[in-house]
Formats: sequence, structure tokens, C-alpha cells
Amino acid sequence: MAGYRFLFSQLVRRELRQKYKGSALGLLWYVVNPLVLMGAYTLMFGFVLKLPRAHDYPLFLMVGLVIWTFFQQSLLAAADSLIIQGALIRKARFPRETIPAATVTVQLVTLVGVLSLVSAVTIPLLGTLTAWLLLVPVLLALLFAFVLGCALIVSVLHAYFRDVAPVLAAALLPWFFLSPIFYETRTLGYVQRHPLVGTLLNWVNPLAPFIEGVRAIIYGGGGPGWGRVIYAVCAAAVSLVLGRALFRRMERELAVVL
Amino acid sequence: MTLRPGEVVLDHATRSFSIRADNAGTLKGRLLGRRAPGPAPVPAPVPALRDVSLRIAPGETVGIVGRNGAGKTSTLRVLAGIVPLQSGSARCGGRIVSLLELAAGFSRDFSGRENILLQGALFGFDRAAIEARLAQIIAFSELGEFIDVPVKTYSQGMFLRLGFSIAAHLDADVLLIDEVLAVGDEAFQRRCLRRISEQIAGGATLLLVSHELGAIERVCARVVVIDRGQVAFDGPTTEGLAAYRALLGTEHGGGESVRPPRASGVEVTDLELRDGAGRPSSVFHGGAPLGVHIAVRMVAEVPSPRVRLVLRAASGTELFATLAELIPLGDGTAGVAFEVPDLALLGGDYDLAVGAGPAGGAIALERSVRFAVARDPDPSRPEGLIDLRGEWRAVERIR
Repeated sequence: MAGYRFLFSQLVRRELRQKYKGSALGLLWYVVNPLVLMGAYTLMFGFVLKLPRAHDYPLFLMVGLVIWTFFQQSLLAAADSLIIQGALIRKARFPRETIPAATVTVQLVTLVGVLSLVSAVTIPLLGTLTAWLLLVPVLLALLFAFVLGCALIVSVLHAYFRDVAPVLAAALLPWFFLSPIFYETRTLGYVQRHPLVGTLLNWVNPLAPFIEGVRAIIYGGGGPGWGRVIYAVCAAAVSLVLGRALFRRMERELAVVL
Repeated sequence: MTLRPGEVVLDHATRSFSIRADNAGTLKGRLLGRRAPGPAPVPAPVPALRDVSLRIAPGETVGIVGRNGAGKTSTLRVLAGIVPLQSGSARCGGRIVSLLELAAGFSRDFSGRENILLQGALFGFDRAAIEARLAQIIAFSELGEFIDVPVKTYSQGMFLRLGFSIAAHLDADVLLIDEVLAVGDEAFQRRCLRRISEQIAGGATLLLVSHELGAIERVCARVVVIDRGQVAFDGPTTEGLAAYRALLGTEHGGGESVRPPRASGVEVTDLELRDGAGRPSSVFHGGAPLGVHIAVRMVAEVPSPRVRLVLRAASGTELFATLAELIPLGDGTAGVAFEVPDLALLGGDYDLAVGAGPAGGAIALERSVRFAVARDPDPSRPEGLIDLRGEWRAVERIR
């Protein structure tokens, strides 16, 4: 992999340029999108459905939405990545992991950019400037590793079985609603009556600890909870190991199936 | 055991491809296919390489020839590490640079210059190594201002120019080139071959797949003939190309019949080319002897029968034609030979056709045979078809 660092940086750069080239707002779109969603959810869950609402609800929503968007966009983009770059795969022998890794990295650049903007607004408004903020980069690195593992699996599976992307897209929608993005799991009335459901929602969904952990720091001004940090480390490790193993097993025939 | 840079080893390499209408399967097929009732119509895999073993030393120049679908491209793709083997091993020492599919590895929305960086990166070069060659690559490609235009506007010829320039200027230990040069015009092809020769002089190993035997003759010292996924011949170029022609059926063996024998009364039954030692051959050398041996049979009574011999360049241009009188033997056959003491042709492929008929009428050609004149690898040697055998000398300025 070491000899191919230049290839990796080339892939990231050209994908970034392709993404933002020819659109007037460029990176701003990645802020506009969650902003529109935030507006819609604030209206829906804040006023119409009257969920037990956190204070400063739009800021609460933004942190979760940004992390979710990174997860969803990374997986959907990774699913197609090997097929889109098929010409490169048929051209030369290089570590094929470079391609999904570059795709996720491009999404990470967006995540860091947008989350910085969100933090720049949230922290002064809520007075959440604490030393815990130093843990945010750590959690983001773990999130990146977790998503990278998932991206390796999704990309190589989709190259062989073209149903993977549609299945994934269908799974992401309920997943979105089950993730603690526009609510905090423990404040839901149903969860308070059925604690087991709360435990399931918190710990079966690997994304929940990441969302709640980062939100606890940036929005809550407290610690992420060490249980969540340990969970994040394990999720990242398991995902990377599994993803790498499956990718290694299946990548050999890529030039033939693409 | 590690290989020296430039060393190439194929050891009992075997690979087949399954043919499916759609290359990628679907999950449904995977889940349901096994339980489907009745015999599933699975086409048998097509073998591309069958137990191929090759050992190529650093600095060797190897031409790979064979019919369509014989396994030439598969060999290169296996060596490039793009397609894995099912059994056996394929290894190359050092850095491999390949030019297999013309448009592969180009990003259509990016300029030629940016694509040079990406392609170099694909072969594992870093920015410094590629940028050191950038000016050379751009100059050789002759793309001029097009180098900064997105490659989606490029023609096939421009893709070839850029693709070849990149492949031929990176410091490869092993250079794999598939049948792509045919896209370029003649002048560019000549420059490519010259550039390849330079790289070989620099110590690179070359594997070249081509149907243009002239190109192979010019740059390759060794030829591997692949037929039905197996090595049919492996040896020096001249013999290798003869073996390949034999495989194609364009070797002698009486020549190919170019038209059904007509009622001219005389039929050409055999046409054979022989070298100076009288052995049948299909590869000759400029300045060396060439003999054309013709056998005919009288089908009817013909007054003063004649045989006509025509030499054509591969392009079809008629270079030479001659007539000879035939003296039939008692059994109605006749034989005649046309002896050339020193062949005044330059390297390339030629066709020799003969026909027979009565004097006074037009004689249609009945049989033809293709032969090659070996090329001189020295680029300072004359080029063209006919060797005028002139000499350059210095003269005083005229007036």
C-alpha cells in the first residue's frame, strides 16, 4: 500500500474536484442539504408531532444529521465505486482497497468541513467549549474506520451482485429512523416504559454510540460516556477486520466481473 | 525465490473464463440457482491458458503471436497481475508497465496532463518520478495544446499517442504491450518501435502482442506462438514467424488457391519458395537468394503455354511481373523455377502469385503465397519496399 500513496491522493483529489466542479455552491450544498432536512424535521417533530423535544432543537438535529449523512453517502458512493473505476482495475495491478478508501475519504472531508461549521455555531451558542472536544477527532477517526470497513464489504459485494446497492438503499431508510438523530433514545416515552427497547436501540445499532457520543460533546458539553468510546473502538476494529478479510477474498476476480 | 528486475516467469499457468451473458451475477441467481429444478444450462468455461510455462530473462524482447482468441491477451493480463490464475504461477520481477486496453485508466473528464499523473500512479510511481518524465511524455505524444483538454474529446489515435507515451517513458522493468499500435499512423508506429528499442537498450524486458508481424520482426528477438491456450512454438523470431504462418496455413504447401482453376487449359498445381540452400522457406533476407518453384499440369491441348509470376507488396501494389515459356513433359506436367540471386527487397510482407495459360491471352493468377523479408533492426537502415542499393557520398556544393 505504501507505494500507492500517490495514487490514493490522486483519486481523492479528482473525486473532490469532480464533486464540486460545475456547481455554483460547491461545498455549501453539503451544508444546505442538512439545513433543509433540519428545517423539515424541526417543523415535523418539534411542532406537529411534539416529540419530547431537546432544547435548541435545530442544533441538536444538525449534529446527528451530519454524522448520518456521512455514513449514508459513504456507503452508497462506495457501492458503485469499483464499478465506476472499472477502467482502472482493468488497467493495472494496484491495491484495489484504494478505490473505496478514496471514496470514504472524500466523504470524510465533507463531514469534517460541515461538522466544523456546525460546531462553530453550536459551541458559542450553547457554551459547550470543554476539553472533551479533544475527543471529537478520536471519535471521528473511529467512525471513519468503521465506515471504511463497511464500505469495503459493500463495494466488493456490489461488484459481484448488483442487487446490493438497492438492498442497501432500502435498508438505510428504516435505519435512519431507528438511529437517534432527531430524538435522544432515553427520552422517548415508549423507551422509558420498555427499557429493553432502549438498550437494543442504543447498542445494536453500531451508529448510535457514534451519534450520541459526538452529540454529547458538541451539543451537551459533557463527556461522550466511556462505554460508547469502548464500543466505538470495538465497532471500528471488527468492521475493519471483517471488511478487509472479505475484500481480500473477493477482489481477485474483480477485473473479470467488472 | 525473488526474481531479478525484468525477469518473467510463467509456471504451469492455467486459467479459464466462464461465459455468462451478464458478467456479474445477481443475488437472486445465487440464492435460487442451486435449487432450480432441472439441469441448469451452464456453459462450460472456456480455457484461455492451459498449462503455459515460460521463462524470460531480463532484457529479452518477446513477440507473442497467435490467432484471435488463442490466449495472447490473457497471457499479458495474467502477467500484469490483473487477472488471477486458477493454478500455476505468474511472476514478473521489478516494475511492470502495461498498455493493454487503449482507453482504460483514463478519466474522461480530466485533461491529458492530469491523466498522465493518474496513470503513473496506477503503476505505483510517485509524483516526483512522473513529473520528471512529464515533459518527455507530452513531447512524444505530439498532442500539443490538446494535452490540457479533457480526454473525452480525444480520438482513438490521440488516446494511443498519450497511452503509449506514458507507458514508454516510465521506468519499467517489464513492458507489456497488447495489439494497440495498429491504431496509430505509420509514422507514429515507427516512432513507437524506435522508442521501444531505446527502452530495451536501457535494460527493460518487452512482451509485445501483435498481428503486425513486421513490427514483431523489427523489435523482437524471440517469438512465442500461442495456440488454443498453449505454447505452440518458442524460439528465435525468424523460425517463430514461420511456425505462425504455418499455423495460419499461409506457409507454402503449394500456395493458396486464389480462384477456381478455369478452362485455361493449364493448371498451377504447386508453388513453393526456397532459400539459397534449396529448403522451403517463408522468411528471406535482403541480398540473399530466393527461388520460386512452380509446377503445372496440362488439362487440355494448349499452344505454347506460359506461366506468369507477379510480386506484390502487402498493400497490393504490383512491384514486378514476368512471363516464362513452359515445356510440357510427356505426362502433361511441367516445372519451372524463377531464381533471384540477391533479393532487392526491404523488410516487410510480400505476396507472390502465379498463373498459367496460353500465349497471347491474359493469364489469370491461380495461386499465391505470402512471404516475409526480415527487417534490419538497425534504425539507420533504409526503409521502404525496394532496396535501391545506392551509396551516399559527400559532394562539393553544386555551383
